[in-house]
Amino acid sequence: MRHRICAAECGLVDVQPFDARASKGCRAAFGWFSILLLVSAAGCTKLDKNADTKGSETKQITMAMMPKSKGNAYFISCRKGAEEAAKELGTKLIWDGPTDPDPARQNEIVETWITRGVDVIAVAVENREGISTALRKAREKGIKVITWDSDAQPDARDFLINQATPEGIGFTLMDEAARALGGKGQFAIITASLTAANMNEWQKFIEQRRSEKYPEIKMAALRPCDDLKDKAFAEATAILNANPEVKLLMAICSPAVPGASEAVKQSGRKDVKVVGLGLPNDNKRYVRDEITPSVILWNTENLGYLSVHAAVAVARGELKPGAMRFKAGRLGELEVKGDNVLLGKPFVFNKENIEQFNF
Amino acid sequence: MSTNPTAASTSRAILRFETLLALVLLLEILIFSKTGVNFASRENLFEVLRLSTEIGVLALVMTPIILTGGIDLSVGSMLGLCAVLFGKMWRDGGLPIPLALAGTVAVGAAGGGLNALLITRLGLPPLIVTLGSFSLFRGLAEGITRGVDNFTNFPKSYLFFGQGYLFGFIPAQLPAFALVAVGVWLLVHRTIFGRSFRAIGFSPEGASYAGIPVAKRLALVYVIAGAIAALAALIYVARVGQAKADAGTGYELLAITAVVLGGASIFGGTGTVHGTLLGVLVVAVLKIGLTLSDQPSELAGILTGGLLLAVLASEALLKKLSARRARASQASVSAPT
Amino acid sequence: MTKENRNPKQKPQAEKSSSNLELRHSSVIRHSPAGPKLLSKGRSFVIYFREWSVAFALFALLLVLAVVAPGFFQKSQLLSICSTAVPVLLVACGISLVIISRQIDISAGSQFAVCSVLLGLLVQAHWPTLLAGLMAILAGACCGAFNGALIAGLRLPSIVVTLATMATWREGLRWWRQGEFVRDLPESFQWFGLGQAGGQAAVLVTTVVLFVLVVFGMKHFSAGRFVYAVGSDAEAARLAGIRPARVTFWVFVVAGALTGVAALLNAVRFADVDPKTGTGIELQAIASAVVGGVAISGGRGKLWGVLPGVLLLVCIAPALVFLKLPPQWEKALQGCIILLAVAADGWRSAREKG
Repeated sequence: MRHRICAAECGLVDVQPFDARASKGCRAAFGWFSILLLVSAAGCTKLDKNADTKGSETKQITMAMMPKSKGNAYFISCRKGAEEAAKELGTKLIWDGPTDPDPARQNEIVETWITRGVDVIAVAVENREGISTALRKAREKGIKVITWDSDAQPDARDFLINQATPEGIGFTLMDEAARALGGKGQFAIITASLTAANMNEWQKFIEQRRSEKYPEIKMAALRPCDDLKDKAFAEATAILNANPEVKLLMAICSPAVPGASEAVKQSGRKDVKVVGLGLPNDNKRYVRDEITPSVILWNTENLGYLSVHAAVAVARGELKPGAMRFKAGRLGELEVKGDNVLLGKPFVFNKENIEQFNF
Repeated sequence: MSTNPTAASTSRAILRFETLLALVLLLEILIFSKTGVNFASRENLFEVLRLSTEIGVLALVMTPIILTGGIDLSVGSMLGLCAVLFGKMWRDGGLPIPLALAGTVAVGAAGGGLNALLITRLGLPPLIVTLGSFSLFRGLAEGITRGVDNFTNFPKSYLFFGQGYLFGFIPAQLPAFALVAVGVWLLVHRTIFGRSFRAIGFSPEGASYAGIPVAKRLALVYVIAGAIAALAALIYVARVGQAKADAGTGYELLAITAVVLGGASIFGGTGTVHGTLLGVLVVAVLKIGLTLSDQPSELAGILTGGLLLAVLASEALLKKLSARRARASQASVSAPT
Repeated sequence: MTKENRNPKQKPQAEKSSSNLELRHSSVIRHSPAGPKLLSKGRSFVIYFREWSVAFALFALLLVLAVVAPGFFQKSQLLSICSTAVPVLLVACGISLVIISRQIDISAGSQFAVCSVLLGLLVQAHWPTLLAGLMAILAGACCGAFNGALIAGLRLPSIVVTLATMATWREGLRWWRQGEFVRDLPESFQWFGLGQAGGQAAVLVTTVVLFVLVVFGMKHFSAGRFVYAVGSDAEAARLAGIRPARVTFWVFVVAGALTGVAALLNAVRFADVDPKTGTGIELQAIASAVVGGVAISGGRGKLWGVLPGVLLLVCIAPALVFLKLPPQWEKALQGCIILLAVAADGWRSAREKG
């Protein structure tokens, strides 16, 4: 057997007879193709920044808008408003966002837009520090950058379209929770994932508000639901069973609100309530059944609409730093605070008004 | 010795396959040059290579693993764990960047070593072992950072390797990509290790009877995979500028897609590194070309899946055709005159 | 340390397949369904060590909970765990069949989502729930048939085919629905219109019946034996008159149909359908199957082991809630359990061989 030891390794025994021949052949093919590629690349045109507007007289603004991710119904209504504004202004609107869970995907898409050469980029930021890298690069190349829905680092963008500050959202959530609890008791939070940057910010402000204004209220548990309604249902049930003193569930991602409400409904417990951040349409039945006293959000269509108006204004140079007011189409005049264009405060949907909305 | 007709026709089949893939790439380039804005530019060529560095490097190191008939589903999670540990070593451990870099690569190799241990010592199927470590590594990354911690503000000199450009237009991570590509190519196609990987892929029993130390070779590929995953993590953190526990989610499946597109058989024994590179390019050009053509990202996922199936199906059909032709020629050769 | 070759038709391997035959032969004899009846009780415990050890681990976890957090055993919590376990169990049954036949299916989660959304849309269009459910099951079977056709017909590797179909279906669904829930379903949808208690009972009974049918079928029907045969050694099975391609195809169809049933039984728990439902269920199912004793190398595994496997993995998340442990260790724990279970199995078979 010993004489066979070196056989394969010394190449005396040809382990794969056909591969050797094939590898020579396809190496040749590959070699030619890569040469072809390189030659064609070298002979390619240089980056053309105005590629879109070649030959047109009035410069049409090309705007690239990115939601946090594409699997979230929240952004459907934002898109509707955005497209309405784009049609009004005659802007070419590119709407795209990550479908992968990988956090770097937003960066990749932004960097590809830089290559494409758009006039303005508007991003709903998933990772504050990560995206700032790509946004700064865009600004260096002369592309205008705004953020909407959630912010990047301030030096990476021109303006933030703010529907509500994380502070406002966190405080409103805690206030509504306190109102439902009657000022004291225990509550639990269901979040999407432990790594989501904006939710962690909200949690910070929720905790700040709680410790400042409602020291009698304690947070019993914090569980992630991975942005899945079914999982939120299971987590809510477990929390209620493990912590019988918890009388309020605060669901801060939109699939979790109906999930938690359904869990409360199926548990049959009348003393537990749910508040959260979610879409009105998902929660109408639970608000009607008085399981969910309030759902907090804002007019997402208007947010999309405003973002496009502001982005185009920035691209055209009409909205400059230092402005105090900004007129945005059918929304009228809105306040500009520093570099934040404010849509308004968080909106509380409850039994009185939720039926009027359809998104 | 007269040429084995099966070998000749199969070699023609393989040759045809990789040419097929190169044709697909060329077709993509032609189409996107028409529909994509600024697709056919030097900047874009380098961007494509730059943005596909991490997945490319993972796919490259996945090639010898798949050659041996194994698989490693944990490379993406390993990337996340290494990114987080790198950040922790640098920020909380106070280590200077070079030391943290070395430490991260060591951790990556150790993780690969864990996989290697379970696969070689206990003889467990690589699919299940790496499925377990896929959960374990990601879970460790989340546990260490409590999910929330995000390491940022790395020094500019380090960030240059992910964001900077040499001579103004060559992305700084390309030399690393090229180095890994050349290294893995040499390993697989020129060294005895590479030949032994193919042998193991065809038949581990046969390989061990031929005197190849199967366990040692397998351990080598998995440890290298872990170390390269750490390298990918370092490039990723430099490019994005942050280290968080969810880094690299889904990268393992993209790497496997690239390797299989490149012609490697998932059962082991066949596969080339240049095929893998072609596969990486095909997927990256598709993704970026669609974005430059203002198409939505979902289309990239759907088309990649469809392309994978189409390429595999055509490979299978080609093999069937050439096998049929070989049988026919064999029959005519052996038929009495 | 052997790596089984999954492609018995490779030409230069003619000698190999006969040596394969010997190796497979011994494993078939030891682990064939008829085997244990010939052995004593004690010996069967050793053979089914994996299945018993999982049950033991589950028992240990439940014991800890009983001591530290007895609230875990409230009726509503147990019902919740059962409800979460129902879809995972059914998908795991289907995937076990696939794994036993020496293939793998990682597209089950996407199939689940497609069936759920289809069900929701049909009910929204005022189809009766049961009929819509039947269509959802049929859709699952069609997805399975598509996989099966490519895998059995064109002999493509199953991991790659199901990887591709997983991506395609999931992305296609996402493109179509953009994450929007399927809402405004008629009252008769939730719990089949039977009310909560009746509906829960119906779901549980259906699951138990289906599970028993699958376990019984694999053990006593010749179709079940064919699956084991094809998984052990497709070439030997072919020589014995079984058609491996046909068996593989139907295994995928059955797995798809079971996924459709799982989607139906999961969807009726709620009043609307989330298109992201079923994310990650294929990994849970594969993990449960493997932890429960189904060997990834095929040809081996008792389906009843899948039940404690599913229960163990499904109990981890609520156990963390009750034990007041931080939630981020859930994934690490799952990974540990999988590795431990598989390592124990490998150590045992290494000991047997050595």
